[in-house]
Amino acid sequence: MPPAHQALKDTEITLSTTAPPVQVQNVSKIFGRTAALRNVSVELERGRFYVLRGENGAGKSTLMRIIAGLSHPTQGQVQIFGVNNREALDRMGYMAHAPLVYDELSGMENLRFFAQLYGISSDAPLEDAMRRVGLDPTLTRHVGQYSQGMRQRLSLARAIFHLPPLVLLDEPFSNVDPESANQIAKLLADMRSTGTTILLITHQLGLLANIADEFLFLSAGKLVSRSPASQVHA
Amino acid sequence: MNSKLYPFFVGLVFVLLSYGTYQGLVAAPPVEELAAGGEAQRIFYYHVPAAIVSYTLFALNFLASLIYLWKRSSAADAFAVATAEVGVVFASVTLALGMIWARYAWGHWWAWDMRLTTFLILWLLYVSYLVLRRAAEAGSSAVMAAALAVIIFLDVPFNYMANRWFRGNHPEPVTLQSPALKYALFANMIAFVAFGAVIVWFRYALERVEQRVAAIHAQRAAQGAFSLALPAMFFFQNSHGNPIHYTYAGYTVAWVIYIGYLVLLTRKVAKLKREEQELRRSADR
Amino acid sequence: MSSSVLKLTAVNLTKDLRLEWRSRDVFNSMLFFAVLVVVIFSFSFEPTSEEARRIAGGLFWVAFLFSTVVALNQSWARELRNGVLDAYRISPSPPEALFFGKCLGNFVFVTALECLMVPLFVLFYNLSSAGSLWQLLLVLALGTWALVITGTFFAVMSIRTRNRELMLPLLLIPLSIPAVVNMVGATTNILTADSSPVPQIKFLAVYCVVFTTACFLLFETVLNAE
Repeated sequence: MPPAHQALKDTEITLSTTAPPVQVQNVSKIFGRTAALRNVSVELERGRFYVLRGENGAGKSTLMRIIAGLSHPTQGQVQIFGVNNREALDRMGYMAHAPLVYDELSGMENLRFFAQLYGISSDAPLEDAMRRVGLDPTLTRHVGQYSQGMRQRLSLARAIFHLPPLVLLDEPFSNVDPESANQIAKLLADMRSTGTTILLITHQLGLLANIADEFLFLSAGKLVSRSPASQVHA
Repeated sequence: MNSKLYPFFVGLVFVLLSYGTYQGLVAAPPVEELAAGGEAQRIFYYHVPAAIVSYTLFALNFLASLIYLWKRSSAADAFAVATAEVGVVFASVTLALGMIWARYAWGHWWAWDMRLTTFLILWLLYVSYLVLRRAAEAGSSAVMAAALAVIIFLDVPFNYMANRWFRGNHPEPVTLQSPALKYALFANMIAFVAFGAVIVWFRYALERVEQRVAAIHAQRAAQGAFSLALPAMFFFQNSHGNPIHYTYAGYTVAWVIYIGYLVLLTRKVAKLKREEQELRRSADR
Repeated sequence: MSSSVLKLTAVNLTKDLRLEWRSRDVFNSMLFFAVLVVVIFSFSFEPTSEEARRIAGGLFWVAFLFSTVVALNQSWARELRNGVLDAYRISPSPPEALFFGKCLGNFVFVTALECLMVPLFVLFYNLSSAGSLWQLLLVLALGTWALVITGTFFAVMSIRTRNRELMLPLLLIPLSIPAVVNMVGATTNILTADSSPVPQIKFLAVYCVVFTTACFLLFETVLNAE
């Protein structure tokens, strides 16, 4: 990481005092007549790598959207670094199922647009983010012509260009070629080692063998267990 | 409905409505002016109270929506649904009765008169409110409906100003020279306000139950007025029939709409009860 | 309004214009639609020049009302593709900037359409205006803004509903009737020079101010309604 951005990152961390990166308290979410989440409480520690697991429809994506502030919980509340999640938006990066980028713009044009929403107007951190995910910043091709793997990597670059201390990733490895998947996994490992807290949803555990710290299991909207990665692999 | 007073109020409303209908149909002396439509003028005793109830309910809907946006209380949301829906029912009755009367007095069903036009637009606006509530994603419908209600209410004064250039056909409410006429109107006014209040109360309680059972949506009463009007057009081919028949038709249509709405509500209650039983059974297990 | 909102409005507007320049989704569908409406109208009425002056105001605004619906649906469809709107909602950027950026973008698109369509109207209906041109331009600008501002607001609502393409006209048309009545009235008054269009222009100005304020205040609530 270039020194300038390391400095930026250091100020972020001093800002966020000692509050936990994510604190979910008694969160329930009801869609019409079905409960997607039932009274989920969880606290994440700084600089650790968490994997959220559970069968389809267990509420993993819903929980992540609520943490990201995209969806209001029906009950309960979410705090990010000790403040309401809508006030900590600049300290979170979120990568969704959908790529969240415009097809008609090139990779850098996309990042430039989103960077301005975060008050970043220089290209340096964006080019850096592109390189970190293994994309060429000078690529002029529109995203519509990207391969699935490239699009997914750009999506990751969009989630991390502002160097958030908390990163939420919803299935980053789906529909991605093995090479891209390995590259993404390696980048996530780097980020973890520099103190970033990561919460990730995936079914492909093989990629995370030596990276993940802890597994959280959701079942039918309830958090059923938490276990250290070492136990799961043993 | 856990309130013990409810049956008492229903009984009271029934008595009031019967009395008002008797006053309007029989006891009130006929108005002799030709412009008023002779015996068909009796439609007025249903038409005006229904219009006033619908205006009141739309205003209450606005207040409930503001409270919802401010406090996010589900009770305010339930009240907003109840007032808008019942308001549309009463507004439909007002429109239907007005059209039947106009068919006799003016010889045609509709005129692009200021008051008719603005009322029709008002009706359309609240129908679009109900449509939005039905179509919105479950989690966001209450907030969006409240925002829409505020915007709609802001539109009302513009609506009146925009249509003020239309030629006015609609009679001014000045046909009340005699105390007997005033009395009949007054009796119906009380009856309709009480009737509206009881339906809103019922609808509100129902919505609260729905909310408790993790509410979604139910049948709305937006349809009805026009599907009924279509066959009616064939019955009134010539405009110089017996005017009292128009009154009978008007009163009947009003009751068809009200009863139709109440049937919809009853079906909704039955559905909720079934669901409640299922929930109980699954809880027992 | 703070300077950052203004700056981000400009960022959003630039982005919208660039996307439109590359895809031309909005403009092509809108233009095609409006031309069809004009052609159909001229087949259905075959007006003489005197009649044309009286009905042109109505035809004109009906064509633009429907074209605006098409434009708004297209310009929001773009934010929904790939879920980009979510990326906006999780950014610390004020929602009002998105709203005004979209309003201005659509205003530009619909105005561009009008610039193309007005000559076409004149041609097809053999029109000549008896009133003043600057008044006509003012009515066009105010009328377009009135449609775009409420339309953008309702478009955000309708993207959260089932059958969203249908929902927008259902919400927008009843609500904008008062404004449309005045746009048509003002346009007809200018074309025929029978009476003064000033009261209608004032009406439109007040309408624009009231709804710009209301939509501005309620936009965040609706955008984050989930």
